[in-house]
Amino acid sequence: MIDMIIIDGLSFALPLFIMAVGGIYSEKSGITNLALEGFQGFGAFTGSVAVVYLTGIFGSTSNVPYYAGFIFAVIGGGLFALIHALLCIKFKADQVISGVVMNILAMAMTSFMTKSINASFFGNSANKFMLGASARITVPYLSDIPLAGAIFRDIYPFEILIVLLAVIMWYVLYKTKFGMRLRACGDNPHSVDAAGVNVYAVRTMAVFISGCLSGIAGMSFAYSISANFSPDIYLGYGYLSIAALIFGNWSILPSLAACLIFGFARSGGSAVINELGLPSSYNDLVRILPYVLTMLLLVFFSRHNHSPRALGHIYDKGQR
Amino acid sequence: MSEPIVEFRHITKKFPGIIANDDVSLTINKGEIFAVLGENGAGKSTLVSMLFGTYEPDGGEILIRGKKERIYSPRYASSLSIGMVHQHFRLVSNFSVAENIILGLEPERKLFGFIPYVDIEKANHDIAELSERYGLKINPEDVIENLNVASCQRVEILKMLYREAEILIFDEPTAVLTPQEIESFLDIVRSLRENGKTIILITHKLAEIKAAADRCAILNRGKLITVLDVESTSADEMARLMVGHDISFRTEKKPAVFGDVILDVQNMSVKSRTGLDAVKDVSFQIHAGEVFAVAGVSGNGQNELADSIAGLCPCSSGKITINGHDITRASVRERIEAGIAYIPEDRHNVGLVLDFTLRDNLPLRQYYTPKFSHKGVISRSSFVEYNRTLEKEYDIRSSQGGATIMRSMSGGNQQKAIIAREIDMQTPLIMFMQPTRGLDIGAVMNVRKQIIAERNRGAAVLLISLDLDEIIDCADTIAVIFNGRINKISPAEKISVDEIGLYMMGVKTA
Repeated sequence: MIDMIIIDGLSFALPLFIMAVGGIYSEKSGITNLALEGFQGFGAFTGSVAVVYLTGIFGSTSNVPYYAGFIFAVIGGGLFALIHALLCIKFKADQVISGVVMNILAMAMTSFMTKSINASFFGNSANKFMLGASARITVPYLSDIPLAGAIFRDIYPFEILIVLLAVIMWYVLYKTKFGMRLRACGDNPHSVDAAGVNVYAVRTMAVFISGCLSGIAGMSFAYSISANFSPDIYLGYGYLSIAALIFGNWSILPSLAACLIFGFARSGGSAVINELGLPSSYNDLVRILPYVLTMLLLVFFSRHNHSPRALGHIYDKGQR
Repeated sequence: MSEPIVEFRHITKKFPGIIANDDVSLTINKGEIFAVLGENGAGKSTLVSMLFGTYEPDGGEILIRGKKERIYSPRYASSLSIGMVHQHFRLVSNFSVAENIILGLEPERKLFGFIPYVDIEKANHDIAELSERYGLKINPEDVIENLNVASCQRVEILKMLYREAEILIFDEPTAVLTPQEIESFLDIVRSLRENGKTIILITHKLAEIKAAADRCAILNRGKLITVLDVESTSADEMARLMVGHDISFRTEKKPAVFGDVILDVQNMSVKSRTGLDAVKDVSFQIHAGEVFAVAGVSGNGQNELADSIAGLCPCSSGKITINGHDITRASVRERIEAGIAYIPEDRHNVGLVLDFTLRDNLPLRQYYTPKFSHKGVISRSSFVEYNRTLEKEYDIRSSQGGATIMRSMSGGNQQKAIIAREIDMQTPLIMFMQPTRGLDIGAVMNVRKQIIAERNRGAAVLLISLDLDEIIDCADTIAVIFNGRINKISPAEKISVDEIGLYMMGVKTA
C-alpha cells in the first residue's frame, strides 16, 4: 500500500511541481499568473493533437508520438501564454482578470477544437482524444531498496524529464544573469530599466516559460490520470499549483514540498479508501483532499509569506 | 579654466498645460560641481531628465563633449557615461549590494566551460575594491532592505561608478538625510570631483550649494534666471533669485503661552504591522498653545506613533489621555469627538477619498452629525454650503469648485483641503504628519503659518516631520525619535541643529 501511495503521489505531485515552477518564473518577474490552469490545458491539447496525428503515421508501437506530444505541449502552452503576456505587458491589462479570462478561453477553445478536429479528420464527434496511458519504467537495483525503492518503481518517463527540467530551471533562476534580471523585475522593475535591461522582454520571456512548463504538466496529466485529452483536464490542478507556489513562498524547493504534500494526500486518501473496501464513489471525496489541505495551509502560511514586491503592478516606463 | 562637457542650447520642453523649460542655455564644465537650484515645479528635474534620456526636448539641442547628441533613452545616456541617482532609489530590495550594482552588466563565468553563471565572487571583490577607492564604506554582501537611506545612496553612487560614469547627476540627494549624513555625502561628492568626475546637483537647499558647489544655475518657472559663481554670491541673494522676490524663511511667531496639558502619553509602545516593536515606551505631554515637534529619520516609529494616537493602529501598552479622558482603547470616532484632528502623511490613501469630489471630502469627519445629516439622511445642501465656506476661508483652488474630483487637484490644494477639514473642527489637539511633503515653497510657508496660527488659538499641536528646517521653524518643544524611542525632549531654543542630528542617528542618547 505504501508503495502505491508513493508511486501515485509522485506521478501527481511532479507535474504539479513543474507547473508551480512555471508560476514562480512568471510571478518572480512581477506578472501575476492565475492562468496556469489554462496554460496546462492548452498545452495538453496541442500535445494530444500531435500524438493522435503522429500515431496515425508512426503506428501505436512507436515512441515518437509520445515524446513529440511533450514537445508540442511545450510549444502550445508557451504560445498560448504569450496571449497573457500580450494582455498584461503590452496592453497593461489587469493581470488577475487576464488570468481568469485565459482559463475560460482555454477551456472553451480546446473543447470546441477537439470536437471540430474529431469531426473533420476522424469522422467522430467525441470530445476527447484517446492517448492511452504512458508506459512506466522501473530503475533496476535502486528500486530494490526497501520502502524508498518505490520512488524508482513504475515511474512515468515524464517524471524523469520533470526532475531534470526543474534542476535546470532552478539553475537558470538563481545562477544566470537572465534569472537575476527576472527576479529583479519582480521586486523593482525601475531598477532593471535603469540598468539598461528591457523589462518587457524579460517579463514576456518569463510568462512564455511558465506556459511551456505548464504545457508539460498538462500533457503529463493527460497521459497519467485520464489517459485521454478531454475538457476534464480542467479540474483545478493549475490553481493547486498556484497554491503550492504560494505555500512555497515563491521558491522552488519549498514549492516541491508543498506539491508532494498535495500528491501524497491524494494518493494516501485513495489507498485508504481501497483498503477499507469502500465504493469507488468515495474516490471523489478523496480528490477534494488537496483542496481541503490548501484551505488549512492557507491559515498557517498566508501570514508569513511575502510575494514579490512588484507582483501585479503594471509597469509603465514613462511613469515615475 | 576647463573644457565644457555638457552644453544645453535653447532647450524647450512642454507638457500639457505648462512649459517646463523655456529656452534654457547653459554650459557645464568638466570636473566641476554644478548645482541647479529652483523651487518645486521650476523645471530643474525636467532639465536634467533630458540629459539622462528620460525625456527628449521639444526644441534646442544638447551637446556632450562638444558633440551634438540625441539622448533618447537612459541606456544611451549610460553609453555616453552619464549616470543619475534618482530621488527615489532604484534598488532591488531583496538583492545584495553587489547584485544591485552589477545588474545589467553581470560578470560571467562558465561552468564546465559552457554553462554560464553570474560570477558573484568577482562582483563582490570588484565592488569592495571600487568602494575602497572612492571611500564609500559598504559591504557588497549586505542586503538592500537591511540598509539605511544613506547606505542605499552609496549603492546608487557605486552603481554609476561601476558603469564608469563621468557625469554624475543627483536629484535632491539630501532630502532624506540627517545633517551628519549630508556632511559625509558632500565629502563624497567632493572626492568624486577630485577623481575628475563632473557632478550635477539638483536641490533647493542653499546651504549645500554654498558648501559644495562651484557654480549654480537658478531656474524659476522654467526659465533660466542666471548662472552664478557660488563663492561670490550670498545665500540670501540666491534665495531671492530662486523665489523671484524677497522672502522670509522664518515663520513669524510670538512667544508661546502654554496652557493645561491636553495630550498625555504615558509609556506607550506600539507594534508595527510586521509585529516588531516600532514605538518603545514613549512618554510625553503636549500643552495647549504648544507646538511639540518630533524630529527623526524616516522609519524610526513616527508613523506608528501618530497612527496609534489617532486610533489607526492599537498600542500594545501604555496610556493615552486627552483633556483627562482616557482614550487608550477608544475607537477612531470616539477620538475625533474627544478632540483629535489628524493630517496624515499619506494624503492619498489615508487623508482623502481621491475619487470623491472636493465637496464630499470636506465633511468626511462630520458627515454623520446633525450639521450634515438629518435622521441618517445626508443633506447635500449642507455639503455645498460647507464647501463654499471652506473654499473661501482656506483658499482651496480647483478647476470646478466643489464638484472637482480630488484626484485631479494639485498636491498643494489637496493638502489645503485636508488641513481645512481638520482645522475647521477646532479641536484641542491637532496632529500634523509631514504636512509639507511634496509642496512648493509658497505652499510650505502657508502650511507653517497655519500650524503657528493653531498654536496661537490655543490648540496643542503635534508636528512630526522629516524636514529639520520645518521643525526648527515651528517648534516650541523638540523631541527626537530614534529606533522607536524618544531620546530627547528639549525646549526648542535650548538645542542646536547638530545636536538634533546626533540624537536622530542615535549617536547621543539622553
